[in-house]
Amino acid sequence: MTVLESYAIPRKTSEVNRQARTAWGLTGPALALMVLILLVPVVVAGILSLTDYSLGNPGFDWVGFKNYDRLFSRATYEKMFIATFTYVVVVVPISVALGLGAALLVNTLGRAGDIYKTIYFLPVMATLLAMAIVWEFMLHPTIGVINQTLEISCGTFLEVIPFLANGCADGFPLWLGDPDYAIWVLCFIGIWQGFGFNMVLYLAGLTAVHRELYHAAEMDGAKSAWERFRLVTWPALGPTTVFVVTISCIRAFQVFDTVEAFWPQGGGPNKSTYVMMFAIFEKGVQQNLIGIGSAITMLFLVFVMFLTLIQRWLVERKVHY
Amino acid sequence: MTRDIWKHLILILGAIVVLAPFYMMISYSFKSPGEIDRGEGGFFGRQELMVDERCMMLRDPNRDDIAAAAPQHPGKSDSEIRAAIMAEAEAECSMRPVVFNYTKAFIEAPLLRYLLNGVIVTVSIFVIQVIVALPAAYALAKLKFWGREAVFGLVLFCLQIPVHAIALPLFIMLAKVGLTNTYAALVVPWTISVFGIFLMRQFFMTVPDDLIDAARMDGMTEFAIVWRVMLPTAVPALLAFAIFSIVAHWNDYFWPRIVVTGSRDLFTPPLGLREFKGDADGSFFGPMMATATIIVTPLIVAFLVAQRRFIEGITLSGMK
Repeated sequence: MTVLESYAIPRKTSEVNRQARTAWGLTGPALALMVLILLVPVVVAGILSLTDYSLGNPGFDWVGFKNYDRLFSRATYEKMFIATFTYVVVVVPISVALGLGAALLVNTLGRAGDIYKTIYFLPVMATLLAMAIVWEFMLHPTIGVINQTLEISCGTFLEVIPFLANGCADGFPLWLGDPDYAIWVLCFIGIWQGFGFNMVLYLAGLTAVHRELYHAAEMDGAKSAWERFRLVTWPALGPTTVFVVTISCIRAFQVFDTVEAFWPQGGGPNKSTYVMMFAIFEKGVQQNLIGIGSAITMLFLVFVMFLTLIQRWLVERKVHY
Repeated sequence: MTRDIWKHLILILGAIVVLAPFYMMISYSFKSPGEIDRGEGGFFGRQELMVDERCMMLRDPNRDDIAAAAPQHPGKSDSEIRAAIMAEAEAECSMRPVVFNYTKAFIEAPLLRYLLNGVIVTVSIFVIQVIVALPAAYALAKLKFWGREAVFGLVLFCLQIPVHAIALPLFIMLAKVGLTNTYAALVVPWTISVFGIFLMRQFFMTVPDDLIDAARMDGMTEFAIVWRVMLPTAVPALLAFAIFSIVAHWNDYFWPRIVVTGSRDLFTPPLGLREFKGDADGSFFGPMMATATIIVTPLIVAFLVAQRRFIEGITLSGMK
């Protein structure tokens, strides 16, 4: 890297050689770390997923695809897939839709909308683990503020709502302790945390929509706001939407902090919130079953790669649906 | 105009839901255990003097204490002296709930240590990321060499691998070389930011070649060009990247949870809060919420001060 430059103009070939050597010197550290920290672990996980390795054991046995077999036959892992996909399928569309809705509203309000932008972005900045603990307090069955607030409605006209009537009669839900509610509460917090991020991405996308397009649409007879949205805004936001959906999916697949904070053991009531990241942590790290943990890791990577491929494909089609 | 009112109404409703946990967190951090249990006291609580039970327990005098205090209370019986000492203790152990909560947050757990660890880890991650990524980004953007396309292809490929997803094999590799439970374990997996390389390369592509040629004419080495010419031009992009990186790692819980077990000395703020929660019984809600507030506050305040920069930095990933 200590190439001393002479003032004489070097010959063409030696100049090229010199630049190549410097370039490899400059990219070298990054390249080495990329291989060591990102590529080697993928290979290691692939290999270990075919073994029964545990940390501390001197050796291991090859077990073929037995770990994968287990993933697709045991009830625990069926619950893992159900929890993960429920979370992704609920959180992604709702947080994208809310992000888009908020962006459209904020955008039409001009400067007056800025305050909402700031507020909706706060959960993105806040330490999720800390906020999860606050939510846990709020959702506490007896002293939590949510059930206390619901109790206020008892004895008022609001009792016509079946949910409140049931709650007043038999007690309000346990929320985090109730297998019927746990996963939905988890989804809610995921949406609460993530939609502000989507909103900001959509706001950036909206600045790129040309004003003239709206005029043109109006000339063509698009009178209602909905028509203008359908004909101009939505198609123009196509690339943003593809990106927002992909990044939301990848983030949703990685949900962990809230699950670990609410249910440090076992992944929720009746394993209803046993998401993949938590399974990797529990099996691979806590129980030292590295074979099975690696198999889940590989499956996880396959899902993420698959999502990226869909994104690429959509981007290459130039998404104007 | 009426349409705008509807919009505000919807957005305000959303804002209430978004802000509710922040409101509760700060409010709980002000209140006494009783007020939290009964859900009363408004936002600030009544701030009546409360007695710290633990403090009282520690000051409970034994025989020796009473004997030692006897000369100051001439002609009194032991039980009278005891009562006097307890009264004195009660006066000293009484405090406002807000003071109680925030002092407990620092006394019950080494919160300062956790915060310091958080700063050490996030700052070292960012600095190393820049040291590694900047030269590579410069080479990929401005130098012609055989294999450049392949290296850039590799960068694009690695961009798709979320580090959290490969946490298990990384953990095993670190365990094999005996690095778990060290600062290194907290930092190493994040030293390479493929995204940083990508981002800086895109930025450097826009820097005019003339600037670099002029530097070469002045006899600067390529290495010097990276740090003395490219770095200063890249400050806005680096600032955005810094925010992106620091927010991600200050808030990260998954990776520290895996590689730091046992030793509190290495806990990052989220880990510390998590352990606090594990130990706490109901009466510690207040101090715990004070801890949560302290951990969340630095980034939120920074965000409120430099909003535009933050939104830019966090949504950087949208630039792909």
